[in-house]
Amino acid sequence: MARILFSVPPLTGHLNPALAVAECLVEQGHQVAWAVHAKQIRDKLPPRAWVYPLDAEDADGPGIADPKVRGLESVRLFFEDYTLPIAERMLQPLEASARSFQPDVMVVDHQLPGGALVARKLGLPWASFVTTTASILKMSPMVDAWVANQYRALQGRYLPAELIVERPDFSPHRVLVFSTETLMGDAHARVEAPYRFVGPAKGDGRRKVDFPWDWFQADKKKLLISLGTVSRDRDTRFFEVMMAALAELPEVQAVMVAPESLAAQAPANVLVRDYVPQLELLDRVDAVICHAGHNTVCEALSRDLPLAVAPIRDDQPVIARQVIDAGAGLFIRHGKVSPAVAKATIEKLLSTPELVANARRLGADLRAAPGAAGAAEAVLELAQQASEPSLRKVA
Amino acid sequence: MSSHQEQVLALVIDKIRATVNEDWIADFDIGLETRFNDDLELESIEFVKIADAIQAHYGNQLAIIAWLSGKSIHELIGLSVGDLVDYIAGTLAPAQA
Repeated sequence: MARILFSVPPLTGHLNPALAVAECLVEQGHQVAWAVHAKQIRDKLPPRAWVYPLDAEDADGPGIADPKVRGLESVRLFFEDYTLPIAERMLQPLEASARSFQPDVMVVDHQLPGGALVARKLGLPWASFVTTTASILKMSPMVDAWVANQYRALQGRYLPAELIVERPDFSPHRVLVFSTETLMGDAHARVEAPYRFVGPAKGDGRRKVDFPWDWFQADKKKLLISLGTVSRDRDTRFFEVMMAALAELPEVQAVMVAPESLAAQAPANVLVRDYVPQLELLDRVDAVICHAGHNTVCEALSRDLPLAVAPIRDDQPVIARQVIDAGAGLFIRHGKVSPAVAKATIEKLLSTPELVANARRLGADLRAAPGAAGAAEAVLELAQQASEPSLRKVA
Repeated sequence: MSSHQEQVLALVIDKIRATVNEDWIADFDIGLETRFNDDLELESIEFVKIADAIQAHYGNQLAIIAWLSGKSIHELIGLSVGDLVDYIAGTLAPAQA
């Protein structure tokens, strides 16, 4: 039996893959513990999970600083106002948790650098979980240098000089990427690291959501429209434009994940819900319009569905570009799209065989990847090596 | 603004409209204060295309991408049409614009 300590940020897109991998490990009889921001995500963990809270001293848990920013500015704020302050505050409680739990191996999300620094300081074997391929690509020398500077300052306050590296977020032992190389493409060089591409986690473990399935009509084409959990309540313009376009496309039915206050103005062929059973819906629709969130993109392509992508922030412009370059998606400019362009895009999305053919090609690849089971196997390999003294210096 | 700058601004606006080539951009009010990230929602890949179109017009005295690589992340986020116009107008001799 191996002892495995998970540390991930309290964000849906990062937590879901970790939950699926942890479930595999527990089923095989291994001991899993979670060092997390328990105030925000305790209810999303398994009922009997072993939890070390990282936020006991925080009045409120960390929140995404400004949900309204877009593009590169959201990347800057995500680092400056979210990732780095969380890292500073979690170093001491996580180090204490790790010394108490005595893990054979740690699993650390790549956007929780506090976890990476503790694993490095204690000399523990650890795996990085990468939940979006945008993070492993060299996008521009200026942004890469800025990221390295942010990390250098953080490390300097906690690690001895000889342990400081350019990218402390990537484990020198194993970096598990929840995507495929086919989807990622080769438009950009990668940061050097010991990658293994395991594809989407595929595990579920999410809460059940009611849905009026009899609303669907057999003779209609069906769409799912979602901007994800962070941007859903950003503003209503995009949703209003989609509704105006769909009002003129009665042969299409669309489920739109949006504030339910919009339901009153929705045409008869648009169903507005503020939360949906996304995986079950993806099994029923013909195409997806979304923000190019990494999980939603992989879940849609895994079902051979073409996408129209309207990226807003964070990694979304990079993932949107991957989908478009692979020939499986169309671009929508989130804040500018007009009803006429939206209507033309929807018509093209539902009538272009090449988009479906490329979605199928990517889908076959995503389905063939080992997912959570492959990630669990890689984590256990590290745990087994942990008995070799060279890999285990302090803890 | 000098007439030299005005000519550069008109050319930059023209290249932005031609490169984006979507319905909204034709009527969108573009001026010196217009920001590429916030106001135009342009991705970096699109900015590069606009830069290429401008350089194709003026020739190789300009090195827009090299100029950009000297910017900080804060400058890049706030980059405006006026910043680009200032660089182009400052680099080119007035007679060429």
